[in-house]
Amino acid sequence: MSETKFQVPDGLYYSKDHEYAKVEGSRVRVGITDYAQESLHDVVYVELPQLQKEVKQSVSIGAVESVKAASDLFAPVSGKVLEVNKRLEDEPELVNKDPYGEGWIAVIEPSGLKEDLAKLMDAQKYSEYLKGLGK
Amino acid sequence: MIEYAGWHMPVWYKTISDEHLAVRNAAGIFDISHMGRLHITGPDAANLLQKVTSNDISLLNPLAGQYSVVCNENGGIKDDVTTFKQGQEDFLLVCNAANRDKILAWVKTNAAGNVRIDDLTEQIPMFALQGPLAQRILQRVVEGDLSLVKRWKCAFTKIQGESVLVTRTGYTGEDGFEIYSMGNTASPTQRALKTWTAILNAGKNEGILPCGLGARDSLRLEAGYPLYGNEIEEDVNPFEAKLDFAVKLEKPASFNGKEPLTKVKGDGLKRVRVGIKLLERGSPRKDYPISVDGEQIGKVTSGLLSPLTGEAVGMGYVDAAHSGEGVRVEVGIRDRNVKAEIRKWPFYDEKRYGFRREIAK
Repeated sequence: MSETKFQVPDGLYYSKDHEYAKVEGSRVRVGITDYAQESLHDVVYVELPQLQKEVKQSVSIGAVESVKAASDLFAPVSGKVLEVNKRLEDEPELVNKDPYGEGWIAVIEPSGLKEDLAKLMDAQKYSEYLKGLGK
Repeated sequence: MIEYAGWHMPVWYKTISDEHLAVRNAAGIFDISHMGRLHITGPDAANLLQKVTSNDISLLNPLAGQYSVVCNENGGIKDDVTTFKQGQEDFLLVCNAANRDKILAWVKTNAAGNVRIDDLTEQIPMFALQGPLAQRILQRVVEGDLSLVKRWKCAFTKIQGESVLVTRTGYTGEDGFEIYSMGNTASPTQRALKTWTAILNAGKNEGILPCGLGARDSLRLEAGYPLYGNEIEEDVNPFEAKLDFAVKLEKPASFNGKEPLTKVKGDGLKRVRVGIKLLERGSPRKDYPISVDGEQIGKVTSGLLSPLTGEAVGMGYVDAAHSGEGVRVEVGIRDRNVKAEIRKWPFYDEKRYGFRREIAK
C-alpha cells in the first residue's frame, strides 16, 4: 500500500470528495476521512443530513464547518438516511478526534449499493489518490 | 502552511480556536512580516502621504500613527494602511501583503519634489503581540516604560540589544503592540528569531500562544475590522465600508479620491457594511446571499462561528434601507434560508473583552 500520513482503513470505500462509506450488513455508515478532518482542522459545526430523506450519490446532504471554512458533505451512496449522529450537535470535535469511529455522520439504507460502490475507491486507491494530491 | 501573497505562512500553530482564545484571555504573538513596509522620507514625505492617504497626516505628532485608506481616482479603496510618523520627515507606511507592489507603484506615481521611497519589507521583520497581558509580557523584554505608550502611539526601544519600533496598535480588537525589528547588527532572519523567541519566552507562564493567519482573521472579524479582498476592494468606497473616521475631506491638502468621495457624501449611500448574526444554526460565509422577504438585499463578505461566544457572526454589504441594527434578514446557506439580524460590531462584550475592557486580566 502506498504511504500517506493519513489513516485510510482497509475495507472502507472512499469518494473523491473525501467521504467514506462503511458497509455494515444492509446499511452504510458515512463520514469524512482523516484527511478531510485534518484539512478542515477544528470542526465547530456539523449540519447533519435530514432523517428519512432520499439522497443521491455525490449530492450534498449536509456540511462540516470549521472556524474558517465550510465544506459540503456529499452522499457517498444513494439511499435513505436512517440515522444521524446527534452527538455531533454538541460535540462536533468528534469528527476531528475519531472520524471513522465516534465521529461518524449518518447511516444510509442504500438503494443501489453495488453500482455506487463501483464508483468509489478502496483503501489502496484512495491512498494513491491522496498521494496524487501531494498529501 | 499556505502560500499567502508570496509568503509561506501557517494558518494555525495549535488550533484557530485555541489561538483566538489565547488572544482574548491572555496573549498571542503573530509573525506579520508579510505586511508591506514602505519607508517614506524627505521634505516632501508628508505632502506625498497627504495626497495618497485619506486621513490627515498633519494631525500626527512624531511617534504617533493613524489608520487610513489609499483611494483610487474614483474614491474606491486600493488598500487600508497604517502610517507612523517616526520623525518630522520620516514615515512608515504599512500596507497589506497582497497589495504591496500595487501600493509601492502607486506611491511612486504620486511622488513629487524631494521625497525618497524605500520598500523595507524584507529588512524589517514585524510581529504583533496582542491580548490583555501584552503590555505585561512585552515589558519584560524591552527598555523603557510601555505604559507611557498609549494607543496609536509608538516608541523606539530595544529587544535583546536590537533596535525595535513598538506601536500600540493591532488587528484583533485587543490591547497590544506591533513590533518592528529595525536593528542593524544581525540579519533580518536572525533578528526575527531573536525577537520572536524573546517574546514567547517572556509570556510562557501567562499562556501566550503563537498565532497563525486563521486566528488573525477570526479575531479581526470578531472585532469588526475589514479585510482587503473581503470587505474592502477597489470598487468599495470608505463611506460604505463604514470607515468615515479615516476620511478627512476637510483636511488642508487635496487627496486622491476627494472629489468622488465628496459627491458620495452628498448623495448618500446605496449599500453599507453591516455586522450580521445568525439566529438559527449555521454559519455565514463569504458570498452567501442576504435577503429580506425573499428579495436579495446584499451578501456576506466574511463569517465565522465565534470561538469566544459560539455565535455565528459575520459582515456583509446590504442596501442602506435595510442596514439598521436589529433588522431581520435571512442568509442563504446552501438550500436553506437561515434567520439572522443586523447587529453592530464588535461581536463580543466590550466590558469583558477588547482594548476598552473594564475588567482587567
